[in-house]
Amino acid sequence: MWTTLKNLTRCLVRAAALVITLTASAAAQESDLLAVLRSSAPVQEKSAACRQLARIATPDAVPTLAGLLGDERLSHMARYALEAIDHPSVDDALRDAVGKVQGAPRLGVIGSLGVRRDPLAVPALAGLLAGPDRDAAQAAARALGNIGTPEAARALERALPAAAGPQQLAVCEGWLRCAEALTRDGHETSAREIYDRLRALHDAPPQVRAAALRGAIVIRGTEGAALLADAIRSTDDVLAAAAMRSAMEVPGPEITAALVAALPDVAPARQGLLMLALADRREPQVLPTVLEAAQRGDTPLRLVAIRALRRVGDASCFPALMDAAAQGSADVSSAALETLESLQGQAIDDQLVAQLADAEGNERMVLIELATRRRSAAAADAFWRATEDAAPAVRVAAWRGLGAVLDAPEVPRLIARLAVNQTDQEAAALDQALRDIALRASDREQIARQLADALPTVDAPVQIRVLETLAAIGGNAALETVAAAARSRDDAQRDAAFRVLGQWSSIDVAPVLLDLHNATDDERLKTRAIRAYIRIARQFDMPADRRAEMCRVALKTATRDADKRLVLEILLRYPSPEMQAIALEAAEIPALKDEALLVVMGLANAGINRDELGKALAQAGQQPVQLEILHAQYGAGEQTKDVTAALRQYAKNYRIIFLPSASYNESLGGDPAPGIVKQLKIKYRIDGKEGEVVLSENAMVVLPLPQ
Amino acid sequence: MVQTSFSRRRFLQTATVAGALAAAPDIIPASALGRDGAVAPSDRIVVGAIGIQHRGMDVLQWAIGHADVQFVAICDLQKKRRLAVKEFVDGHYGTTDCQMYPEIREFLYERPDIDVVLIATGDRWHALASILAMRSGKDVYTEKPSCMTIAEGRAVVETARRYGRVYQTGTQRLSEANHVYCIEMARTGRLGDVRTAYAHIAPWDAAEMRHDWLPAVPEPPQDEVDWNAWLGPCPWRPYNPGYVSGGWRGHYDFHTSCIGEWGAHTFAQAQAGLDCGESSPVEYEYVANDSGDGMVTHFANGVRMILSRGNRHWSGSCGERFDGSEGWVAAADGYPQPDVSSPTLLSEYQRVISQYVARTGRSLDHMQNFLDCVRSRERTVANPEVMHHSMTTVHAANICMWLKRSLKFDPVKEEFVGDDEANRLRARAMREPYVY
Repeated sequence: MWTTLKNLTRCLVRAAALVITLTASAAAQESDLLAVLRSSAPVQEKSAACRQLARIATPDAVPTLAGLLGDERLSHMARYALEAIDHPSVDDALRDAVGKVQGAPRLGVIGSLGVRRDPLAVPALAGLLAGPDRDAAQAAARALGNIGTPEAARALERALPAAAGPQQLAVCEGWLRCAEALTRDGHETSAREIYDRLRALHDAPPQVRAAALRGAIVIRGTEGAALLADAIRSTDDVLAAAAMRSAMEVPGPEITAALVAALPDVAPARQGLLMLALADRREPQVLPTVLEAAQRGDTPLRLVAIRALRRVGDASCFPALMDAAAQGSADVSSAALETLESLQGQAIDDQLVAQLADAEGNERMVLIELATRRRSAAAADAFWRATEDAAPAVRVAAWRGLGAVLDAPEVPRLIARLAVNQTDQEAAALDQALRDIALRASDREQIARQLADALPTVDAPVQIRVLETLAAIGGNAALETVAAAARSRDDAQRDAAFRVLGQWSSIDVAPVLLDLHNATDDERLKTRAIRAYIRIARQFDMPADRRAEMCRVALKTATRDADKRLVLEILLRYPSPEMQAIALEAAEIPALKDEALLVVMGLANAGINRDELGKALAQAGQQPVQLEILHAQYGAGEQTKDVTAALRQYAKNYRIIFLPSASYNESLGGDPAPGIVKQLKIKYRIDGKEGEVVLSENAMVVLPLPQ
Repeated sequence: MVQTSFSRRRFLQTATVAGALAAAPDIIPASALGRDGAVAPSDRIVVGAIGIQHRGMDVLQWAIGHADVQFVAICDLQKKRRLAVKEFVDGHYGTTDCQMYPEIREFLYERPDIDVVLIATGDRWHALASILAMRSGKDVYTEKPSCMTIAEGRAVVETARRYGRVYQTGTQRLSEANHVYCIEMARTGRLGDVRTAYAHIAPWDAAEMRHDWLPAVPEPPQDEVDWNAWLGPCPWRPYNPGYVSGGWRGHYDFHTSCIGEWGAHTFAQAQAGLDCGESSPVEYEYVANDSGDGMVTHFANGVRMILSRGNRHWSGSCGERFDGSEGWVAAADGYPQPDVSSPTLLSEYQRVISQYVARTGRSLDHMQNFLDCVRSRERTVANPEVMHHSMTTVHAANICMWLKRSLKFDPVKEEFVGDDEANRLRARAMREPYVY
């Protein structure tokens, strides 16, 4: 009977170690797992039982688990289960144990009492604070902090004067936790007293005083302004930095006013931090201070202030920032432009457009750049004028600007400029402008039609640009126009049209490509058309039946075996029974037979009709092979292992080897080189001929036919 | 040794100006310090590290490459790693000054001069080491995943707030331009109404974790590997060198599954784009597979994030994608530029990035963002709250897979709704003496 039970429980534990798959009720599982704990089973099995109990145990398990708390080998795993059980009997058991167990297990029990926030444990834990066991005292201090009741806080307060070194750190940590818990529970006054006491603890480590200051400021809210200001002005840099970080946590004009008032009083070295803290508040009252700093020389603080204006600036900053953008050093100019770009409001655009009307030289460039970034629609007239500027760079900038601000009704005006002599950069900027406008337009079809209408009126080089722009716009009109161009007798236009059709970004191009393929006798163009068609089937989202149909059509239509092979890749990429059926059809093409059958096997590897594979291969005339694995090695670099035996057990009489998992690590007995991409090297013999293959980790195991 | 002297005092005295400068790294050259780009030793941020191996060396090299960082000490429970880091650091500086410590509490207590601690231990130590370091007054840059349970994540948040520490997780994609572009495109409405994001989970291993023990092997001398310290707060098991050499991955006690392996990065990215960076989903839909691939998670505002294992939505690792009514964008590692539904969307690329930098003042160098905040005391991009909420999503998704049922979650109370068993998996008892 016992042997049977033992075997059963071992099986249970092993299975439970992965996941509950048992059909027995939870109560029965718990009973069986507890039986393991009471047995003489090895530590590993008992540990696994505790792990499983953590998921399902009821209060019934507490006595047995509590009995393990003093066991150095299993105390932790007993707590692992106990901590999860929401029942007061667990707290009783832990409290009982803390007075009985010793050494490392007691540290664990103390920690668990803290995790469970057991208020009845305070006396026992408080008693440990002054005890001789320093580790236990520190653990108790932190646990008391987690419990966080007024009684816990008082216990820590009593322990603090005598604490030194790591003991002092632990008591402070516990007290800080208490303050947080008291705040949550509505005892703000008590929490504030803790923070203030810790702030005054001059022999405390800096991080404790900083944490206490942070707590004291945050808990006071706006009433903490004076405290904040004092710390910022103090000679203690740690406290000053802590105060400024704390300011980021407390909203309110009082805090802001304290920061502003402190700015002139602190050393330049601290003003940068203060400026960032001010900017973080995003309150209007800081603006005069920040703006003043943003205009002062080319100092490092000026850059910080200009950046801070992104958060607190408004239209009143425009003159100062424009001056910085146009006149400042490269760094200052760049920062000012970015700030001007990010400021919101029509008033900025109004000032910008007014200044742009009369601007020249570098100022004109800066203003065009800014208006472009801001997409200031009112700047359009100025942009048009700038397209006539003597400086090519200004003209290019102006076209970019027009692309940013114009809407669809202005497109004909842009199209009319296509044929005008321009530099390559200007032409590219104009084309991009058309694309940008089309992207924003609600009716892209109309823009495409306007471009289509313009196509016969422009020279050949411009026609190619128009075709490329149409491809970027997409849609029916664009596609019809480019398709027509692909039937043109003009070689250059036809070539350009085929090129852009090959890069088309929607699936509606597929029938067009098929028509073009069928309509031409030019083998070169046929190839381009069918390859573009196959690209659509491979790359784009579409219903599975449509993709399958496209694959069938491509196999039937393509005249070159190389193109048909591209279809086989698609079949493998989208596994389904239908794709496998197509692969079997492809296997009837003599030149593709071998690869098509590999695809059939690959799809079987992905779980498609695996049981029917032998039958399917036989129907395709594929005979079973005699396969022998000579040697297999898995790993990376010097971290490899021999997996010959493992692989042999999966090898059948196919050139594909089905592994039980997609993971080589799982299938081949573990990971020989964790965290590194590995390879599987196989030497084998098929029908008496030896071959060798190297596969990337987790690739399908297909063995090429030896030559 | 009692903590009486504190070098940060001097550090902050000079750092306040530099800090204000560094907060705008895109616009202020180092030469603005007036030293031709050089940073005087007294202005440097004094840095130590805990647990440096493969990924840790990347982090160390990243940090030490910043001129205003002075690396001074390594703490590692493995002797060979202590020596390797010392050799690297001493070689970098041409000195023999890098100090070595085997025990974390001794290290933190005896080095009050250290301002910043880099943490790149195994996953099981990330949260505890961060808490101990912040309690010692250090700012922390820690590798992901930042915590093993929801409760650990909450403890990190509370400690950082209590001590006013600056904290950043190594979810560096939150600072990389391609990912920032995707996040901002979604956040700012440029994709229209974004209702769905996809987040990549690791394409290897499974959501189910190992619970077995590797065969027991006699422990090496404590100075070589302190096995008890290696286990830290996790359940005891016998020593096996396989764990120490990286084989801890996949084990329940030490790892967060294929979901956490990459989700620790990508969930934060996806949640940022959905404007849910400081919340967590309210519902997790169980999927009957071994990885969580395809799990739909729902946020309270109606948007959803879908876990995705393969490369259906991107090509590469650690990807995310946002689907809006006006288009979609996606990015993953190794992308020269993001994937977009329409090439026209990329015309906004530079503008989107520059607006992000202008709005937030954040560097696109994740380490620089951290160092800037160390000086300015501002919040980092991967601050404790962001870390905690994205990792809560990781843990809840794992729990959903382990229990094989859909779950509802209250992100304010941080508890599952009406599921006691799920709630029990939010925390794990810490092994003594590693109770915090």
